Amino acid sequence: MKTRFFVFPLLLFFLCLGLVPQMNGTANAADKLKAGFIYVGPVGDYGWSHAHDLGRLYAEKKLPWLESVIVESVPESDSARIIDRLIQQQKCDVVFTTSFGYMEDTVAAGSRYPDKKFMHCSGFKRLENVGTYFGDLYQMYYLNGLMAGALTKTNKIGYVAAFPIPELIRHIDAYALGIKAANPKAEVHVKWIYAWYGPDKAKEAAEALIAEGCDTLAFTEDTPAVIEVGQEHSEKGKQIYTFAHYSAMQPYGEDSVVSGQLMDWGGMYVKILQDIYNDTWSNEDIWWLAKEKAALLGGNFDAPINPKFVDELKAYKIDTPDLGSLSAYDLIMKRYDQMKQGVDVFDPFTGPIKDNKGKLRIKKGERASKGDLLSIMYYVDGVVGDIPTN
Amino acid sequence: MKIRITDRDHITGLRSLAANIMSLAAGLLAISLIFLLNKVNPIFAISEIFSGSFGSMYGFKETITKAIPLILIGSGLTLAFRAKFWNIGAEGQLLMGAVFSSWIGLNIGPHLPSYLIVPLMFLAGFIGGALWGIIPAILKIRYSINEVICTLMLNYICAEFLTMLIVGPWKGKTRFGFPGTDNLPESAILGLIPGSRIHYATLILALVSAVILTILIYKTRFGYEARVVGENPDAGKYAGIDFLKTSMILMAISGGLAGFAGVGEMAGIHKYLGYPASLSSGYGFTAIIVAWLAKLNPLYAIFSGIFFAGILVGGDAIQISLGLPAATVEIVNGTLLVFLIMGDYFLKHKVTIQFSKQTQGAS
Repeated sequence: MKTRFFVFPLLLFFLCLGLVPQMNGTANAADKLKAGFIYVGPVGDYGWSHAHDLGRLYAEKKLPWLESVIVESVPESDSARIIDRLIQQQKCDVVFTTSFGYMEDTVAAGSRYPDKKFMHCSGFKRLENVGTYFGDLYQMYYLNGLMAGALTKTNKIGYVAAFPIPELIRHIDAYALGIKAANPKAEVHVKWIYAWYGPDKAKEAAEALIAEGCDTLAFTEDTPAVIEVGQEHSEKGKQIYTFAHYSAMQPYGEDSVVSGQLMDWGGMYVKILQDIYNDTWSNEDIWWLAKEKAALLGGNFDAPINPKFVDELKAYKIDTPDLGSLSAYDLIMKRYDQMKQGVDVFDPFTGPIKDNKGKLRIKKGERASKGDLLSIMYYVDGVVGDIPTN
Repeated sequence: MKIRITDRDHITGLRSLAANIMSLAAGLLAISLIFLLNKVNPIFAISEIFSGSFGSMYGFKETITKAIPLILIGSGLTLAFRAKFWNIGAEGQLLMGAVFSSWIGLNIGPHLPSYLIVPLMFLAGFIGGALWGIIPAILKIRYSINEVICTLMLNYICAEFLTMLIVGPWKGKTRFGFPGTDNLPESAILGLIPGSRIHYATLILALVSAVILTILIYKTRFGYEARVVGENPDAGKYAGIDFLKTSMILMAISGGLAGFAGVGEMAGIHKYLGYPASLSSGYGFTAIIVAWLAKLNPLYAIFSGIFFAGILVGGDAIQISLGLPAATVEIVNGTLLVFLIMGDYFLKHKVTIQFSKQTQGAS
């Protein structure tokens, strides 16, 4: 009896020893490329990290020479450690860091490992071997805004927002510009929840906006919480229109989701990895929109607009300066088509655009540059209130 | 069959150690079951955790980096827990330390050399954490408000307060509209051991604090009083111990050490005040397990701090190589805590199972 107690741990110990060499044995073949992905949220978040991981899986399927590993839910404080681990132990050739907060650590790692490549999503600091990439959805928010303006009955439209940073302001503004084009009487109310992942807070904010009279909601948060609120009200007979964010969230609210903004990182990841593999990569900033098919319109990947709401949109007429009077549905499709041709054909941020204090921000005939869009920190006309900042 | 539970009279050091090791082993066994359910070889996974954190120089350096806040907070918690003051608020005390020290660093830092500003920041951090720790002490002793709830809730208040600062008045001009203060001036940034992220000033502080606390608890009148408050409050009252004063001091120390940890994270790792979640990644809660594994002895907290830092660091290794979700590490930690507490119960109580039908005396 006594001896067995000693034998068992000993056996365990040797088993452990036997397994140790296995895990360090991931040597890279010469024609392979190994990529590490660092995510800020869990890949099951149904938002940002989920979309990135779909992109990675797509690239892995497309590129037979690609091997990839992921680390999820990495706090910004830990990114330096994770990068080191991916480079030193996993022997990654390229590391994708997919949160703004990883910027400093990514750049530092770039100078620490000059012969490796780094791609930082959403940042603005680059080195010889550190590039940046981003796919933006503001055009889709504009199209969603056109729908919101056409559909709202109360002329009060809500937005549940994560953090007051330029990206969010840009999306709220584009949404408001779309709404204004369709319905100048409607106004946008914003609630900040200070969380990327916060289904409880998002639900509360959505309920509060509905209580204040909003019947149409868009949002930036990584779960379908707002949509679930909209669906619940719609089922009870009070129609709430919602717009899916980032992932195909329509199944969470078939009676509520009109459309949404979808991000497809797959094409971009394939391009970046292919460039690195072919040695044609450079550290130029990648910024993909509707033209590159990174930003897509819809609450799921099947249809840009939920068929349930198409008739209502076809019945609503909008006057435009360039296309005359046409139905909201036709206008949305036309604008979407123009966006796919490029920002020089149509862009929501084309002057004259005034902020909500009446100050002219973009002159008539001018179009906001990428730099303007990346640092935008004012509400356009039609958004109620102030951006919470000093 | 009858199960009898009796108190154990004497608990030897050896028995205590054995109970600890056995609880850990039982905990790891339970975790193995979870791994098995996920179709992962548990031996491989557990060895991967520890080789990821202790098996290489790189992993070891990261383990030490993570151990710094855990040792500081964990040893502080041993003092509070000895007095049965259940401080669940170290997370908030850490953040308050970071808030206070970042104000000093940002505003006074540019005008002072490193050897003056760094001690000043640590002092400010200690005061910040201590103040946040004293609040629940006063509330508990004066108004009998449950300290578990109070300290827990103060965490959220502090996190929201910090968020308010960094999106509002303290938002840096160099952040392009993103929340967060500007970077600290060079003189206010803690030095690192070359080739690592170990901010040595805080490491030394952590080790020294653990030693001083050990002396405080076992060799001083205050330590004795704190233990009496925890173990026999009635006797304490007869002996004339001032509960309010004792509780305030011990929470000032416990909170202050968490404040130190906040200074280390802010000025050593991040170099600016950012989101609460990125500043701390839950050290205040992990440290509770650290204190418990240390059997509420601050000196042992050094080792248990390193042990749990190892699990945290090794956690990303199993994530990468086995494709397990990030939450796995939290499950490992939580399971170990449950087993450690259970082990404590069996250490203090003797459980005998009688199979005979005969009963002994009246119960």
